[in-house]
Amino acid sequence: MEIPYVVTPRKDTGLINSKIAIWLFLASEVMLFGGFFSAYVFLRVDADYPWPERALPVIPGLVNTFVLIASSVTVVFAWASLKLRKWRQFQAYMLFTLLCAATFMVLKGIEYNVKFHHQALRMTDGAIIEGHLGYELKEGADKHHPKEDDYELDHKGRKIEENLIYIEATQVTFNTVRFHKDWVEEIMAEAKAHGSKLTLAEDLKMKTERDQKEPVTFLPKGTELSIEVLNKIAEQHLEARKNNAKLRTNDLREAWVAAKNEHPGKRDWEIVDKVAVNPEHFADKTLTEMPSVAFKLDHPAKLEFFPRDVKEGPTQSRLRDETTIDGKLLESPMVFHYVDALDFRYLAMKAKDRKLDPMTEVEKSWILANNKDLKAAWEWHKGEIAKLEEELKKDSREPTFTERYRIEWKDFVAKAENKPRSERDSVVLAKEQIFGPDYDEREKIEAFPMHVEIPREEVAFASKFAPAWNTYYAIYFTMTGLHGLHVIGGALVLAYYLFFGKKMYLTNPEWLANRVEIGGLFWHFVDLVWIFLFPLLYLM
Amino acid sequence: MADSPEAIKKSIRTYLIVMGALFVGTVLTYFVATSPMLDFGGHGFDAVDCVIGLSIATVKASLVAAIFMHLNHEKKPIYWIFFGSFVFVAALGALLALAYVSPIHDKFFPGAKAAHHGDKE
Repeated sequence: MEIPYVVTPRKDTGLINSKIAIWLFLASEVMLFGGFFSAYVFLRVDADYPWPERALPVIPGLVNTFVLIASSVTVVFAWASLKLRKWRQFQAYMLFTLLCAATFMVLKGIEYNVKFHHQALRMTDGAIIEGHLGYELKEGADKHHPKEDDYELDHKGRKIEENLIYIEATQVTFNTVRFHKDWVEEIMAEAKAHGSKLTLAEDLKMKTERDQKEPVTFLPKGTELSIEVLNKIAEQHLEARKNNAKLRTNDLREAWVAAKNEHPGKRDWEIVDKVAVNPEHFADKTLTEMPSVAFKLDHPAKLEFFPRDVKEGPTQSRLRDETTIDGKLLESPMVFHYVDALDFRYLAMKAKDRKLDPMTEVEKSWILANNKDLKAAWEWHKGEIAKLEEELKKDSREPTFTERYRIEWKDFVAKAENKPRSERDSVVLAKEQIFGPDYDEREKIEAFPMHVEIPREEVAFASKFAPAWNTYYAIYFTMTGLHGLHVIGGALVLAYYLFFGKKMYLTNPEWLANRVEIGGLFWHFVDLVWIFLFPLLYLM
Repeated sequence: MADSPEAIKKSIRTYLIVMGALFVGTVLTYFVATSPMLDFGGHGFDAVDCVIGLSIATVKASLVAAIFMHLNHEKKPIYWIFFGSFVFVAALGALLALAYVSPIHDKFFPGAKAAHHGDKE
């Protein structure tokens, strides 16, 4: 089929069809990203926590801006080369454009990866700690400089992040319909690793047939837990539920008929209070439903859970799949191998809301009262802020809220080097801007507060720097993720022209030039969006 | 649009100039945000820096749209299509702005005290 108006313009519009199409698409894209930019503005203006300013590494974002601008130019050059019928030149420019796209995505990937490994924690008093979690170590291992064989391993041979909830379980009750297979298997494996096993706590008596007079033993006490056993119970439970629902529906129907006969001419809403299901009518036909089933551990075993999966309690905890764990909650502290920022902005903001002195509240915080390294860093920071305050006073300015209430890794390093942040070596600073702190080097001189232990009861909320942490990261991942998908999509289209365009170039070069122009327009739009994303997310 | 080989060759120079301008604009945005020398308004980031940063971004975006996307000499239907979409963006923004007249910001609304988080820095 011949596609009309792809080389010669239509008379009425003066444009080729594909150009109209791409602009219509770009118009929809303007509205899509416009919606997100509006969301960003309103999330920021109405944020009930201090908005993270310049929380992202600026240099990779800056490099990505240059990369996209360069690719925008080379894609125009690629189009111009086709117009001038220079195939080799077109190939070179297009290849460069694709390399730029790849560079952009690699940098973005590194940035995301760093975020997903960076831990944040908000304490119950509002103080925020950022850093990297440690792993469980064997008895007697050097906490500060552990060797590879110092790590405790779980039953699967993996290192155990020091952010687990430990429960000395005695009984586990599963929801027979909602149980999560992987978690059940995990619980069984952990129990086995501790030399324990889960068996049915009581005889499971169920009425499985309508003609049965009394419930019979469906599974005997002591039956060992397995997925098959749970599935068997679930199947019977669902069968019973179906049967009972049918009985209830029939009874309700009969109740309606009886009510209608008793009150002829009345509307439904007038007799609705006279209609009700009477379970006695079908009690002998009902089957036993078994929504949950309890399994006992033959002796208590220490089970571990990710905090995101469990709502812990002193004697009973609950998993997200409604599994209930009976047993004592053991000490489950969160342990940072090292802390790279301490943020009191939220605490200070809340103190101001309550008309309290923020500084006093900061001084009273749990972390400063219980960690001497962080207390020392805070004291040093106060000295630095006093100096800055003095300096800014000359121009009637003052330190920002962030400067006052946030200490980050650059401050820890400056403290370790015993010089103000502004006087640190510029080459090292530039390197840190790009690659972040040199943790290994800093670990040697113990620049960062190490092995900071936070009891579980002091943890209000903890997350990696993922969308769950706050609305800033939610909108950051949404917008940059969507933009990244556009980069990938655009690059695929441009790659198609580069690798499969030769045939078209030989038969109809103008058509290919038009196609590249259309692809290029999309690519420029991707650049245009980034031009706004960079300052909004990285600089402001 | 530059369609003849001569016109295309001529416009290549323009593209390079625009690229230079975009690089300069980017560096400028970076320094306005990070360098104490170019810290306008109060100390640190504030509304003045925000306006300057976004103004530079707008100029950069306009250059990309006008020169690279050839919007400086396009046909009328394209202008209607593309700039028409901004009307919807503005309308969406206005709808969101209406959130500010919603009851939650009304001091007589029962939940207002709990919802309002007080003064922020």
